[in-house]
Amino acid sequence: MSIMVKTEKKVTLIIDGQKITVPDTITILEAAQKAGIRIPTLCYHPALAAIGSCRICIVEIEGVDRPATACNTEALEGMKVTTRSERLFDLRREVIKMILAHHPLNCSPCPENGDCELQDLAYEYDLAAMDFNDYHIQTEGFPWKPFSTPILDYHPRRCILCGRCVKVCSEIRGLGAITMSGSGAKAVIQPVMADEQTPSLCISCGECMRVCPVNAIEETMGGIKGKPWETKRVQTTCGYCGVGCQLDLNVVNNQVVGVTTRDDVGVNKGRLCSKGRFGYTFIHSEDRLRRPLVRNEEGKLEETTWTRALMKVAREFKRIKKEHGPDSLGGLSSARCTNEENYLFQRLIRQVFGTNNVDHCARL
Amino acid sequence: MRKVILGTWQDKIIDNRHKEKHLINDEFPELEDFEGGNRIKAFVGWDGFFIFDLDVPVIDMMRAYVEKVQEESCGYCTPCRVGTKIVADKLRDMTNGLGREEDLRTIKRLARVIRDTSMCELGHTSMTALLKIMELMPKEFEEAIKNRRMMRKGAYRAIATAPCIEACPAHLDIPSYIDAIRGGNYYESLAIIARKNPLAGICGRVCVRPCEFVCRRAELDEPISIKYLKRFVNDQILSYAAARSKKAETVPVRSDKQVAVIGAGPCGMTAAFYLKQKGFSVEVFEELNEPGGMSAVGIPDYRLPREVIQAEVRRIMETGVKFTYGMRIGSDKTLEDLKGKYDAVLIAIGAHKSKDVGMQGEQEKPEGYISGVKFLRDLNTLHHIGEFDPPGGTHLVVVGGGNVAMDCARSAKRLGYSKVSVIYRRTEKEMPADEEEIREAKHEGVEFNFLTNPTGMKIKDGKVTGLTCIQMELGEPDQSGRRRPIEIKGSDFHLDCDILIPAIGQAVDLSLFTQNFPVKTTKWGTVVVDEETMMTDQNGVFAGGDCVSGPKALIDAMSQGLHVAHCIDQYLGGQPMNMPENERMFRLIKAMKLPQAPVNRVGNKPRCNLESRPIEERIMDFDEIEGGYKPKEAIREAERCLRCYRIAMFVTEE
Ligand SMILES: Cc1cc2nc3c(=O)[nH]c(=O)nc-3n(C[C@H](O)[C@H](O)[C@H](O)COP(=O)(O)OP(=O)(O)OC[C@H]3O[C@@H](n4cnc5c(N)ncnc54)[C@H](O)[C@@H]3O)c2cc1C
Ligand code: SF4
Ligand code: SF4
Ligand code: SF4
Repeated sequence: MSIMVKTEKKVTLIIDGQKITVPDTITILEAAQKAGIRIPTLCYHPALAAIGSCRICIVEIEGVDRPATACNTEALEGMKVTTRSERLFDLRREVIKMILAHHPLNCSPCPENGDCELQDLAYEYDLAAMDFNDYHIQTEGFPWKPFSTPILDYHPRRCILCGRCVKVCSEIRGLGAITMSGSGAKAVIQPVMADEQTPSLCISCGECMRVCPVNAIEETMGGIKGKPWETKRVQTTCGYCGVGCQLDLNVVNNQVVGVTTRDDVGVNKGRLCSKGRFGYTFIHSEDRLRRPLVRNEEGKLEETTWTRALMKVAREFKRIKKEHGPDSLGGLSSARCTNEENYLFQRLIRQVFGTNNVDHCARL
Repeated sequence: MRKVILGTWQDKIIDNRHKEKHLINDEFPELEDFEGGNRIKAFVGWDGFFIFDLDVPVIDMMRAYVEKVQEESCGYCTPCRVGTKIVADKLRDMTNGLGREEDLRTIKRLARVIRDTSMCELGHTSMTALLKIMELMPKEFEEAIKNRRMMRKGAYRAIATAPCIEACPAHLDIPSYIDAIRGGNYYESLAIIARKNPLAGICGRVCVRPCEFVCRRAELDEPISIKYLKRFVNDQILSYAAARSKKAETVPVRSDKQVAVIGAGPCGMTAAFYLKQKGFSVEVFEELNEPGGMSAVGIPDYRLPREVIQAEVRRIMETGVKFTYGMRIGSDKTLEDLKGKYDAVLIAIGAHKSKDVGMQGEQEKPEGYISGVKFLRDLNTLHHIGEFDPPGGTHLVVVGGGNVAMDCARSAKRLGYSKVSVIYRRTEKEMPADEEEIREAKHEGVEFNFLTNPTGMKIKDGKVTGLTCIQMELGEPDQSGRRRPIEIKGSDFHLDCDILIPAIGQAVDLSLFTQNFPVKTTKWGTVVVDEETMMTDQNGVFAGGDCVSGPKALIDAMSQGLHVAHCIDQYLGGQPMNMPENERMFRLIKAMKLPQAPVNRVGNKPRCNLESRPIEERIMDFDEIEGGYKPKEAIREAERCLRCYRIAMFVTEE
């Protein structure tokens, strides 16, 4: 590959009067972060390459009339950057106003309420509903359309078109199943057509939903969602396979209502597959086995205790082994077990049962 | 010619409102009517506006302009997506007599935010004209608010353009297909290309890429690699389709009209593709046994593999175009036959006859003397089936400084001649060949003799043995702007060689025109067509490509194919014929010769180059030199595009 690999060089620039030296491969935003200077952002997501769509991280660079976005402008040698000024405040405030002009302002029914980056910005830039009087936007109607998968629903009225979802899908998931389409104020996020016949490459992982800052992509599973302050987030290890992804079960009134993740936790760093993210409704299923059952003489299932049930299983295995030999038995383990558990399982089958009839379902 | 009454562009303001018309000397000398008789009354653009007729409805004009901005806004960034919508709504209100005093302040404030904070040039430039017009004509706006009356509507023709789009003869929507790549949306990207160009795989490899030479990213670091991005999406989608054995959809026949196309070169294939898309039955007649024209039998395989051409043609065939090979019109069938059987005929025969250098001994046609096009044609048709018999000898000399000469020289290297030289009468700077071609030829060991002109051949026993040459020096610039070479008296010298390949240009083979069926031609031996309709002096017989323009480039031939398909459609539908409206607008914009504004941004991210095979390896065979982009590289390259979109709008009488 012949991308010009930049040799690790250092550049020195001045941000808000502070002289900082950073590698020449990073952006103004990253340089400012290193120096402890906060530049407000919205479309920026630490797990993704810069998007540059919201235009809130604009800064002034000496010698260039037009402000530049800090998130996707490289830090160059000798640059003089200003991150706070009256002009920047006014411009940012107008831009946030424009975003809000196209976004519902009744925050109370929204599950993000209280944990929302957009709300925080509106607060920081002192914006309220009456600030929009002189816009009286003539909003467009957005007819409901299916999203890339039935497991997700997209709400164009909420969407602020930050582009994170599109980015995460092509960059992290490597699919590019959704894209921005339509033009101007009619732009929406839509599934990508792979060709005329293949509607979508979506694998229902829900990564787009995870990174959406305003709940514009919502899962169609589950019922009520809780408000951030009434939701207990219980960190746990995903039970679906042996990778060990970390996730937070969202619990409201002792009911699991959803799964969220944290960007900096575990091997998965916030990512999940569709099973880990959406496969939680079984927890409260009526059909779920809660106690061991053993068949009685009449062949009917009867509740019993764990000790009794396991004793019965052991007894029967021993009988079969004695009557028909060890190769009449076999073991099939589950992909939901960890490596260590699978190891112990094959030891049990090989050494205790005495057979090599052991296998694994390999995937869920 | 249009005289400016009021206008501004960048920092310049022209105000002739109080001058008498004949005293005005601010004018656009080359700007004519929109169409014959439909006068242009004003122009609104990215760095300002020009009013030629003071009765234009100014506010409605700006409403139309901002609505077009909103329509073209990609929706990616906030200020342009939402801001221009609010401004457009307010201007519309105003033209409906619903404007309010505070709207003027809101519009101005929003306009400045949009100008300063949008992501791309569309947003940056969208409000310039509006802000300037509000400054220069404040009364119009104040009165509109006071009078609260419905306003008269004007007639507008608007188009989204960019420097690269304007430079491309086919006016491909370059920023938009690059955008689709950035979004990982390859299928859409190729679909955008296919609106104007059905041969993305070919152009993505060998296009002369006029777009890259005007790319504004060059002001920051280097131009965008527009060509290789095209190759990337094409190869990506093609391998996707091949892996699933997908075929292009057959277009149903929607008309009983039939079109014959002569020549399966870039022009013929492009025209055939779009005529088929329009629902006609299309049949292509080709003299050779394979499609591609010069792209197949001129351009060598190491630059453009055969399979690429064949894959493109397969796609065109799958849509329902019929190809007949090995059929020469003029001998196997006549032009008259075709005219009698088909409703329209397109002549796209290219320029395949070679031109003589004009030196002594040429007429004898000695062994070892072979024209560039013939050499390449034989090589290209015979080498891959193992039947090419290269002329014997060790030293091969190519005469000429264009791409054809480079192709001959680099191919000769691959055939194993121990010494390959190029003779050119000017210096390297004046060479018309692509810089990259010259550089690669040098890398591969081709020797160059500049300021050298051959005057005669040494022939022994009917075979070339050498060449007499004369040294040249550069004199005054000629019409093309290049300095004319002049012989230095007495500087003649001799050069030993075994093979001599003149590659100094091609001519059109006009032998298919007969007395029974004459078609008007120029004194340069090209076919004459009407600039507007692409029709020859024979009703229903059209022409396009190299046979009309003289030897040019693929994309020129293809843009004519696109144009001619549009006109044949109108002709067969019995409509009045004229050029596509956007073609007309691009010509008008070009005629205005507007100065470019500098790029007001920072950035330093050089382009992503392709990996080429090592020289020792590649000169052993005719396989492709470079691998294409990998998805990550392509997306990185796409992200460099500044999206220099801008809206141009003509206000016309009707
Ligand atoms: C060696 C070489 C290298 C080039 N390299 C480049 C390059 O890198 N990039 C670029 O953009 N351009 C390049 N060009 C130019 C480009 O190939 C031509 O401009 C382009 O192919 C012209 O297209 P066309 O359709 O008008 O004609 P052609 O491509 O010439 O096609 C005409 C077709 O008509 C057929 N034909 C002719 N007469 C008859 C008849 N009587 N009956 C039936 N069929 C007939 C011919 O066999 C041919 O297939 C190159 C040209 C040459 C010669
Ligand atoms: S759906 Fe969410 S993540 Fe995607 S663009 Fe809209 S707001 Fe951003
Ligand atoms: S066209 Fe340019 S300025 Fe407008 S929304 Fe898209 S990126 Fe922003
Ligand atoms: S930067 Fe992009 S839009 Fe601008 S000229 Fe280059 S390719 Fe075209």
